[in-house]
Amino acid sequence: MRYLVAAHGVGRRFGEHVALEPVDVAVAAGEVLALVGPNGAGKSTLLAILAGALPPSSGRIELGDGVRVGWMPQRPAHYGRLSARQNLELFARLEGVGGAEALLGRLELPDDDRPAATLSVGNRQRIDLAISLLGDPEVLLLDEPTAALDARQRRRLWETARAVRDGGGAVVLVTQNVEDLEHVADRVAVLLDGRLVFDGPVADYLRSEAAGALA
Amino acid sequence: MKQPLLLLRKDLLVLRRSPLLLGVLVAYPLVIALLIGLTAAYANAKPRVALVDLDGIPPRVTVAGQTFDVDALIDQVAKNVELVRMGEGEAAQQLAAGRVAAVITVPAGFVADLKALVASPHLTLATGTGGITPRVRQQMQALVYNLNLHLQKAFIQADIRYVDLLLHGGKGVVLGHSFSIIGLDGAARLLARLPPSPERAQIEDFVHDARLALALTDNAIRATAAPIALDEERGRGRTSALSAQVQSYGLAITISFLGLLLAAGSLAAERDENVIGRLVRGLVGLGRIVAAKVALAVAVSLALALAVLLAFGIAVEAGGVAGGEPWQRVPLVLAGVVLAGAAVGAAGALIGGLAREPRTASLVAVLAVLPVVFLGLVPREIVPAAYWVSDAFPFAHSARFFASSLYDRSPWGVVGREAAWLAGLGAAFFALARLSARRLVV
Repeated sequence: MRYLVAAHGVGRRFGEHVALEPVDVAVAAGEVLALVGPNGAGKSTLLAILAGALPPSSGRIELGDGVRVGWMPQRPAHYGRLSARQNLELFARLEGVGGAEALLGRLELPDDDRPAATLSVGNRQRIDLAISLLGDPEVLLLDEPTAALDARQRRRLWETARAVRDGGGAVVLVTQNVEDLEHVADRVAVLLDGRLVFDGPVADYLRSEAAGALA
Repeated sequence: MKQPLLLLRKDLLVLRRSPLLLGVLVAYPLVIALLIGLTAAYANAKPRVALVDLDGIPPRVTVAGQTFDVDALIDQVAKNVELVRMGEGEAAQQLAAGRVAAVITVPAGFVADLKALVASPHLTLATGTGGITPRVRQQMQALVYNLNLHLQKAFIQADIRYVDLLLHGGKGVVLGHSFSIIGLDGAARLLARLPPSPERAQIEDFVHDARLALALTDNAIRATAAPIALDEERGRGRTSALSAQVQSYGLAITISFLGLLLAAGSLAAERDENVIGRLVRGLVGLGRIVAAKVALAVAVSLALALAVLLAFGIAVEAGGVAGGEPWQRVPLVLAGVVLAGAAVGAAGALIGGLAREPRTASLVAVLAVLPVVFLGLVPREIVPAAYWVSDAFPFAHSARFFASSLYDRSPWGVVGREAAWLAGLGAAFFALARLSARRLVV
């Protein structure tokens, strides 16, 4: 099995607070991994570390050769005073890739001069998704991507995740939504108080005590 | 360096999309510069000095045959101080409280001594201990000098009248005694009536020589009384609102304020907008993000400085005032603006990194910039420590750089020294800002 991204003993502390105990997680090509757990369990921290946006306090991240990683954080992560187009064009130039125009149309983003900060939460979430898709990444890291999306947009996101997986890539999806697990996930990792307490197929998870505890 | 330029372009775009913020950022430092100019003018206002008259000087005093209106004379000589008459006790109390900068006391018997001219009468000056004391002392010395000048003129006039009596004869009064003399003219007339003789010829020669010599006495007395005279030509320099000092302070304040605020706010905003994580994951390193903020400070400083220079230059040309070489020196000033903007921008980025949050960063930048500016305005002679402390910040160096590059005939010494200071401070602040920026990621 070819792993595209792997965390080896990765942990993170913020001062005295332990956000994430050392964990080992790997995502293989053609796989969608769902990270679940209650608020403050360390899911977003692990995803930010996998994205390279946050340095780990311990352990290391291993990335496959030439693997591109796209990351969509939980909170809006773009410039509120710029329009959707300006944001996409800026990040495309910073990454040295094209495709901003195509993503603008594909994700049905508003193509006008309105500052992103004035757009709806759902639109802002789609701007972040578009930025994470710049350069056609092999690994897509999505932090609660469906939280503010309507049913139609949620289906389109699942299609996007499946397209990455079916293209030989991998997706790590932080979610609280059981629908996401049923429609798109292959494997589930459960974090509880910064510790990895479950890692297995979706069907096993849904029958497990962990799922019952989180329900 | 492509990524920092992209971030710079983004920041300029954000500024363009925030016209109110941009307007306030541009107007605020210019208003502050103007206020400081007015404050500087106020600093040149007359200090209040108590006048204690223990002699009971009458309203009119006659000295050397000339009568002086005392209050008018005081108004005329006290050009740089505000003299306020008060009692001895009140003056001492107000000096202790700092309500007057000094007390000048006219001792009993002053006018009598002045009229007798046996010995110079004395005035007594008591000063406080504040930084203004040297200035007050100089102004009171100037006041006594001006008084002496008026009295001197009276004495010279009296002396010339006596010389005139010696030449032409007539009636006069010395120390209350009236007298009448024939003078050299009268002596010559009497000699002419005497029979010729060698003795008469000798006396006639003496009278002739004496008349010639005394005829020159008028100018000689004036020249020896005041060997060097100072003539004042008015209206040749700039008005204070257009002075070199106001222009260089205006530039330095504008750059300090804008550079510090923009660099601090925009760096902290990268974290506030949750974008810093995107940037540091291989797109743009922290050092380059800080460099982009320094570049933002430089770019905005250059634009504003050019506008300020143009405004001053046009006002100076329109006013037809002389002094300075604003147009030829603009490139040198702009080089200074780049250095000053970079140093201030690096300091601002340091604040942004430490504050981590744009509102706090902006507030800290505003709170920091005013003391730094005022510290840089304190003259070295008044508080030397403030002058040395201000050396640790770019403001004072940039003000000196601009003043010298705009108005010194040979600015290279000052410009070189201040440029080295700005470059050194910029490098130090940049290194600290790069370290502090790590706080934005964790």
